[in-house]
Amino acid sequence: MDAYGTDSDARHGPDEPGGAPEPTGGPEPAGQDRTADPQDSRPEAAALGPDASAATAAPPPAPGPYPEPRTGVAALSPRYQVGAALALAVVAVVACVHVGMVFLHVAPSNTVTKAHGKAIDDWIYPEFEQNWKLFAPNPLQQNIAVQVRAEVQTKDGELRTTGWYDLSAQDGRAIEGNLLPSHTQQNELRRAWDFFVATHDSTNRSTGLRGTLSETYLRRIVVLRLDRDDAAGKGGAVEQVQVRSRTTNVRPPKWSTEKVSDKPMDRVLPWWPITAADTDGGAE
Amino acid sequence: MNRFALSVSSAIARITEAALGPYQTAVVRIGFSATWLLFLLREFPHREELYGPGSPWSWDLAQQLIASNSAFTALMWSDGRGWFEVVYALAVLSSILLLLGWRTRTMSVLFMLGVLSLQNRSIFMGDGGDNVLHLMSVYLVFTRCGQVWSLDARRARLARAARARGEHVADRVGPALWGVLGFALVAVTAGGRFDGVDPTVPVIVWAVWLALAVWWIVGRRAKSGEPRILLDVIANIVHNGALFVIMAEACLIYATAGWYKIQGTRWQDGTAVYYPLHLDYFTPWPGLADLLSSSGTMVMLVTYGTVIVQVAFPFTLFNRRVKNVLLAAMMTEHAVIAVVLGLPFFSLAMIAADAVFLPTSLLRRLGGWAARARGRVLARDGRATLPGPRAPENPEPTHASSTV
Repeated sequence: MDAYGTDSDARHGPDEPGGAPEPTGGPEPAGQDRTADPQDSRPEAAALGPDASAATAAPPPAPGPYPEPRTGVAALSPRYQVGAALALAVVAVVACVHVGMVFLHVAPSNTVTKAHGKAIDDWIYPEFEQNWKLFAPNPLQQNIAVQVRAEVQTKDGELRTTGWYDLSAQDGRAIEGNLLPSHTQQNELRRAWDFFVATHDSTNRSTGLRGTLSETYLRRIVVLRLDRDDAAGKGGAVEQVQVRSRTTNVRPPKWSTEKVSDKPMDRVLPWWPITAADTDGGAE
Repeated sequence: MNRFALSVSSAIARITEAALGPYQTAVVRIGFSATWLLFLLREFPHREELYGPGSPWSWDLAQQLIASNSAFTALMWSDGRGWFEVVYALAVLSSILLLLGWRTRTMSVLFMLGVLSLQNRSIFMGDGGDNVLHLMSVYLVFTRCGQVWSLDARRARLARAARARGEHVADRVGPALWGVLGFALVAVTAGGRFDGVDPTVPVIVWAVWLALAVWWIVGRRAKSGEPRILLDVIANIVHNGALFVIMAEACLIYATAGWYKIQGTRWQDGTAVYYPLHLDYFTPWPGLADLLSSSGTMVMLVTYGTVIVQVAFPFTLFNRRVKNVLLAAMMTEHAVIAVVLGLPFFSLAMIAADAVFLPTSLLRRLGGWAARARGRVLARDGRATLPGPRAPENPEPTHASSTV
């Protein structure tokens, strides 16, 4: 890929201080035939010191009018060249396979990924996962607010149910006017809810191990937030929590004729009892 | 046929005798280490909630998930608060040192370990910016990203000058660092901390550690120059392979983002950009968002422009001018996203990834400005801060003591 501006149209441009002779793109033996007048380019490169040719990703000093001491394979005897060739082959194969695997990982399901899905996953996970579908194929068009209420045992042993705390609105207020929103405000609750939705069916039943993890995670987040809001009051303790999501359509632009319902839709989860495991560690 | 053979041999010569794109890899190194450093500093007050043992994503939850995906994270070695603080501090330190280019190769490994340790500990805290940083932290390990704009380059220059004056130059810090980290690596491995972990990270760390030893021994002991040149050639090949992967990765990011958008009805009807601007989680400046989306035509142009630029970008690499125009457009868009959607670290990471495609002439000019600015600040001659040496014509492995 000729990405560093080594096209011929850039040659000797006024903004090319390192304007050593450049190839036209493909790996041509450009060094000699391009530089019709070697007098023209040599001092230029020399003036810039030894890094000039590299700076423009210029071609290697091809065996031309000015033979120079060479590095690279040319400087090696055949015995060592075998080693270099081997390294080149290994790196080329690994790099191409890696790029191919990443490509197949991000590509839509197709003949190859159906046949070799396991091999691709083994290569990609856990360290090369890719997740670039932010706002694609369609951007999210709903505001999803995660809200929670709690059943609290007060100091006097009395049970009381709190009102709904809109945790997403709290996040929103923290983000507003903020040049550097924290991941705790922007991602924590939002992604925990996504995680919950992805691992539960529409009746809020967990669909696997990750479902259980996501429930515990969500519960720990809301307990932490309730604690910060001092929902239990002095001497009180949260006994149970109930989470709901309230989804509201983003109202269409005013220059659009589209109409969408502005009625919020609720998804209410069952009451969850709080155990010691949900409160330990409580990050401040 | 002869012509074909010539191009092949010329290409081989080119990728074996120099680590290409020294300025581009340096700017990628600086970009990602700065992004991570700023992120860690910004989240310092929230570090415990994000990655600490008392996080809502508790140590137990993390352990259950990691048992199923075997990702690497040093934070699983202990659930102690002290260990967490040490890892966080080392992540900060390694990003500072990688930014400065001090013992670049070693720091790139520590940087990767820091990024992976924190991110894999709490994968649900991250977003697209964390994802790209995660990948690039791994790829950077394979590059010679400290050839310019680094303390390593400065040290190599000073050492060369000293040798030219006939002085003896000995590097004690390098072997000491290697020894200390090697001791830690052996202890970690012998302690079974890598058991059950996906082999990617342990293999990389061990390979780099052994390679540094081979590099040092060959640099000192080898009788002829050839073993050294061979190592230099291998380092160049690995660097150029990693550079190719970094560029391909950036292209795949844009291609994925672009091609999937084409399928979306909102990107087709030209309103897509309006919606993120009205999501509560991505509107730090509601007034600004309203202003930007007040004209339907403008929103449509930006919507279509975004898709066109993302889809087209990989193909424009074959034309320098068009590529530079699109690159400028994408960097601008990311800078706008940073503020308008409140995604500063995502945007910084994307700009750092884009930077691998910046033209050398621009980077050199920027380097010159930075050097002059620094020179003025330090009120002394800025000449010494010009981009550092790389020596394709020099058979001496000038990076022997610095950047393997």
